[in-house]
Amino acid sequence: MDHQIGNPKLAFAYLRPACVLLTREPTVGNVKTLSTQLKHVTDGTLQQLQDYVLFPLRFVLKIPGPRQDGLVQAVAEVMAYILESSCVQNWETLRDLLSELCLCLCSPTDPGKPSPASEELKSAVLRCLDALLHAAYGDVVFKLFEPTMLPGLGAAISLLVALGEQEKSRTVQAAALKCLQALTLQCDCSLDHVIVGPEERRILGNTMASFLPGITIAMSRIITGDMRHGHAVTVRAIKVWFQTVGLVMADDQLQNTEAGERPPWELGRVGELVVQRTPDWVRNTSGRLVLLLKKIISGTSAHQHWRVRLEMVNLSHHLLANCNSSLGECVGLLLEALVGAVNDEEGRVRERCEAALMEVAESSQSSDGNHRAFTDVLSENLHSLATALPRLMRTSDDQHKVFILNVFLGYLKILGPQVKVVLNSAAHLQRVSKALMQVLELDVMDVRIVEERSSVVNIETGPGPQQARAQRKHFLYFTDERIFSILKEICRMLGYYGNMYLLVDHFMDLYKETSVYRKQAAMVLNEVVTGAAGIGVTGAQERQAVPSEEDMKAVVESLIEEYTSLGHWHLATIVREEADTADLEQLSQSSLLSISNGVEGRGNPLHLVHKTSTIHELNSNIWQICIQLEGIGCFAQALGVDFRLILMTSLYPVLEKAGDETLLISQAALNTMRDISQACGYASLKELINENSDYLLNDVSLNLQRLGIHPHAPTVLSVMFNHSDPSLLPLVGDIVQDVLQALDMSYDETSPLFCTVLHSLMKAVARWFVSGPEGTSENTGINKVWCEQDQLSLRQFLLDYQEQKDLAEGIGAEEDKDSDLPEVLPRTDSEEDVKGPDVKADLPAHITIAKEVMERCIHLLSHSSLPLRLKVLDVLELCVSVLGENENELLPMAHRCWPALLLRLTADDPLAVLRAFRVLCTLGETCGDFLRKRVCKEVLPKLTASLSKQAPVSGRAGPVYSHTLAYKLQLAVLQGLGPLCLRLDLGDSDLEVVTEACLPYLSCRQPHKLQEACLSVFRHLLLVDPDALWVTLNELYCPCSYIPPHTDLQPVQLTGMGLQRNEYTDNVLKLLEDFGSPQDTTSGDPKEHC
Amino acid sequence: MMAPPAPPPLYTLRGAGSPLNALHFSCYGGHTPLLFSGSCQGSVNVWNLITRRAEKVLDGHSGGSVIWLNTLHSKDALISQGRDMRVCQWDLAEGRSDVTDTVWTGSVGFCRCSLLEMGPGTWLLAHPGEAMEEVKIIEMPSKRPVCSLIPEGKLGMVMCIKLWQDPGSGPLLLAGYEDGSLAVWDVSQRSVLSCASAHPEPVMCLDFDPAGKRGVSGSSEKSLASWSLDGQHRLQLRNAVALVNPGISQLCIRGDRKIVASAGWDHRVRVFGWKKLRPLAVLQHHTDMVLSLAFSNHKDPRDRLLAAGSKDQRISLWSIYNQD
Repeated sequence: MDHQIGNPKLAFAYLRPACVLLTREPTVGNVKTLSTQLKHVTDGTLQQLQDYVLFPLRFVLKIPGPRQDGLVQAVAEVMAYILESSCVQNWETLRDLLSELCLCLCSPTDPGKPSPASEELKSAVLRCLDALLHAAYGDVVFKLFEPTMLPGLGAAISLLVALGEQEKSRTVQAAALKCLQALTLQCDCSLDHVIVGPEERRILGNTMASFLPGITIAMSRIITGDMRHGHAVTVRAIKVWFQTVGLVMADDQLQNTEAGERPPWELGRVGELVVQRTPDWVRNTSGRLVLLLKKIISGTSAHQHWRVRLEMVNLSHHLLANCNSSLGECVGLLLEALVGAVNDEEGRVRERCEAALMEVAESSQSSDGNHRAFTDVLSENLHSLATALPRLMRTSDDQHKVFILNVFLGYLKILGPQVKVVLNSAAHLQRVSKALMQVLELDVMDVRIVEERSSVVNIETGPGPQQARAQRKHFLYFTDERIFSILKEICRMLGYYGNMYLLVDHFMDLYKETSVYRKQAAMVLNEVVTGAAGIGVTGAQERQAVPSEEDMKAVVESLIEEYTSLGHWHLATIVREEADTADLEQLSQSSLLSISNGVEGRGNPLHLVHKTSTIHELNSNIWQICIQLEGIGCFAQALGVDFRLILMTSLYPVLEKAGDETLLISQAALNTMRDISQACGYASLKELINENSDYLLNDVSLNLQRLGIHPHAPTVLSVMFNHSDPSLLPLVGDIVQDVLQALDMSYDETSPLFCTVLHSLMKAVARWFVSGPEGTSENTGINKVWCEQDQLSLRQFLLDYQEQKDLAEGIGAEEDKDSDLPEVLPRTDSEEDVKGPDVKADLPAHITIAKEVMERCIHLLSHSSLPLRLKVLDVLELCVSVLGENENELLPMAHRCWPALLLRLTADDPLAVLRAFRVLCTLGETCGDFLRKRVCKEVLPKLTASLSKQAPVSGRAGPVYSHTLAYKLQLAVLQGLGPLCLRLDLGDSDLEVVTEACLPYLSCRQPHKLQEACLSVFRHLLLVDPDALWVTLNELYCPCSYIPPHTDLQPVQLTGMGLQRNEYTDNVLKLLEDFGSPQDTTSGDPKEHC
Repeated sequence: MMAPPAPPPLYTLRGAGSPLNALHFSCYGGHTPLLFSGSCQGSVNVWNLITRRAEKVLDGHSGGSVIWLNTLHSKDALISQGRDMRVCQWDLAEGRSDVTDTVWTGSVGFCRCSLLEMGPGTWLLAHPGEAMEEVKIIEMPSKRPVCSLIPEGKLGMVMCIKLWQDPGSGPLLLAGYEDGSLAVWDVSQRSVLSCASAHPEPVMCLDFDPAGKRGVSGSSEKSLASWSLDGQHRLQLRNAVALVNPGISQLCIRGDRKIVASAGWDHRVRVFGWKKLRPLAVLQHHTDMVLSLAFSNHKDPRDRLLAAGSKDQRISLWSIYNQD
């Protein structure tokens, strides 16, 4: 079979037997034989022999009686082969074959219905039919569409439609629909097709008009029907639908209808089938099509398969391009469908859609007559969509909402520069804005928003690089984050195309009008301005008029002024009466708590009633502030570097909020600061603050003088300190003077506020200038002190001991002088200070500040409010650590504050006592000598005496005791004593006093916490003088006996030896464990020198 | 009648680094409005009033306190008087900051110069001379000496001067002296037209309104003196205005002749209605003596500011009585 037969005569001779045989015996086998032989003949030869070869096959089909499916299928396959390789030039052949093939498809009993034959058979016949239609010559194929052919054509069409709709097999469905396309000369496959000229197209359209209702209805049923038939069928059906409609309703055909219509009466009965496409008919038809189109669009707009959505875009595009005027009523719908796909998740759909939109928009704008109509349709659509939006947002699911909003956005995109014109209509603007106001309504029920506090830690570590997450907004009518982002894009688009002044004015009015719309209006305003600046706007056309920088600045300035005005910025965000109800109850029962909670508990319990009712208000306020903060960030980005000038007025309010107690607000403010520094070209928040500290400080200093109206100046200062570095100090020096002065002026009312400032100031100064780890770094090497001593040899110890002893006896007189030394030292220091004024100018700024602050602390230490005293003690500690590097300045200050501090140590609330201890320890780090004497003389006796006195009381007391003031004091003293002794490096006698006072607390009868605290005291003492402590402990209880390693040594006698288990046993054992294991160590017997 | 509390300053300029003795606005023309300030340490700061930041710092008086500033014609031709006994002329155009010319005055006192435009491109500059009571007048920019005015009586050091052009005669000069007296000089005749003892203490400052032929002067005491000139240029003392605290450093009548402001040693700026010298407002902001004052000459009345420089090293800017 190397080469095919090219000679017609030879081929005829070759094929004849098979044809004859087939005619005589119509069997599958004979058909197959013919089929194989046909393959040996060239296409050209086959063309010549076409009629001859087709004859036996058609003969087979015409055999009367029930058909054999297998045979028909085989015949159809062979015919398909023949038709695919040749052309049909003869009209009769085409007509007859068409009807014969159709007969094979329809049910033998009812020619209107498809036959119940097998799927394969139908596929084969459909393929054959397809081949036939492709093979038909141009001059014959158009005869199909002559009015006389209407009945036959109609039968074929209805059969194919029925197959497409009712068949179970998808392939058959698709094939039938494809045939239908071929039959109407709309096939889009890759083969060659007849070229259809305008006149032919008109005839085609005329004829197809008769079948339009049938085809469109059936196709819509397929499209909107069972989703299970797969996307391929749906796509085909959509194609058939729009091609048919596009053909029949084509504008160019309908505009000149008169040309050469043949009057129907010449055709007799067939004439009744002919449709005259009169304007009336067009109107009616388009009215019906609207209904179908609605169904189709609603069924496919959110179709899962992108090909279906893509086909819908094609549909809309095709019809908009070709039938714009004849389908008048449908244009809106089509646009909506097209526009809805603008933001499709599938890129190919988007691309196609954008191209289509662009074309539609252009063609609509180029042809002036249609232009207005088109814009009208769009703006009408927009209007009705805006009207329906709130309802749709309430009722539909998120998927559908996304679609609707996409449509909305799409309209704006197509309208493009026309948005400005549309929004000039008050009705439109009103609608759109109302819709946005309602849709963007926030859900303010969340109580956590109100409760979450920005923790102190958070503020302090604020300058760190971590990006505070932006809190998600909760909306009443939707949850999907995508919806919010589309809404934002809509607003930006409005700002981009619309008249910025008009929009800003309008939404500003809403903002001012009622608090109900305030948050939404602010959200919209933020985005409108962003959009007007051209930020965050994608896929938009060029604008004719870009707002000038001056305009943008003016708008932004007025908005910020409005946002930060007193009534919109300083809203209540926290429940003022924070006191817990439980605390209040306890307050009435226990006088003790009233001391520690004195200030917080001041709130009137009656106020608590209001609390719940205002939670939503507070939440709403918080959100409003956050949105306004976000807005300032947006504006900064909209203006870019130009925003630097506006920092003069806007940075201060933002910093106010950065120090807000509510977590959400402070985070939002931090984000805003980041936005600003990015927009203005600052590398970091620090740079932002440092570069603009003059603007900030101007407001700070002004407001410090008017704290009654502007109480936030200290907060701003704190935030500045937290985010800045020492380079801020020279400028701040000026303000610190203001602060101190203001503090001096208003001693009582505002001192808590100022203490906060001083605290953050000193904290910042300490962070900037104190290098080493501040505070008490205790207990680093406390464990197993004794183990190290194990390494020492016994001999060495004895030698050392001897030496020490000699020293003590031999030069005892000199030792007295040595002990005087500490007393002298501070005196020389203070003498140096007398010379101080001469060198004062050389003091670094931070030392001066610390001194000034410490000065104020001295006064405030005896303030009547406990929280304030606590704060002051904290500040004092920081001052001390800052001044630590400059002992000459510290000592006189320490000297001056000593009396006040002493009172805190000895006669104050337990909380204050504890903090005073911390101050004392810090003080001890730098001026231990100065302190030792004072502490020993003035502090220790009092404390130890009170401890000793209270020990028996607490030992006997019941569980209620832990609620008493006495207990808290004991605890505080015990907790503070340890570190203090360690810092001050106390002498033997003082240590003994401490030890003695604390020993009773080792008893297991004491409250547990006191025991713990006492253990900590001893653990500290362990570091100071382990030997003495060891003995003391062993005298209380000695767990083991010590046998001397050598007979020369005396046996060890300890009073604790051999004692029964007593109340101290547990704690003594715990402490002895810290010494390491004493059982085996017989070296260094401390008893000996006693 | 209780007036509402005075507003806070519009802005406070910081960073001059030393007390501010002299202020001068330059706001006319289309350029960025500027404020010049002269400090005790001899530096002149050029403040941009849009960004409210110092654009430039000029240093030409070698540490001597700058006590007077003015501009010839444009913002780029600044003249400054320092206690280094020199008056410097600056060229600030195109980012330059050069001293183009200096006039040696020889005066170590505190008396500020006075400038009077005579015609296009010519000015008269009155400055204190070498002798304590001497006032010298020269032509600018040619530096040609016009005359030297030394009173005959023993009036003491010259404390403050003001030149103006009287439509009827030539240029006139008002001078306040150490013994508290004021004298009106006819510059062309070089003679004293009239003399009056306005204060028991030295005259610290004065300002004169040529259109109304009235003036005010301040001293170290607790009152302002007001006076007028009659047709024969005779000084007529009018009623004095009592102050709460003593000491005035500078007096300024605003260009529109509606208000006058005083810089007080009591840290306060007081504003009076110019017509009747009715007290209008007390601007309290500074924490030390107010040393200098200036009204801006901005073309938009709403942007006309009052600046006050103080010993506390800050300049406060006030937006007051400018809403019509």
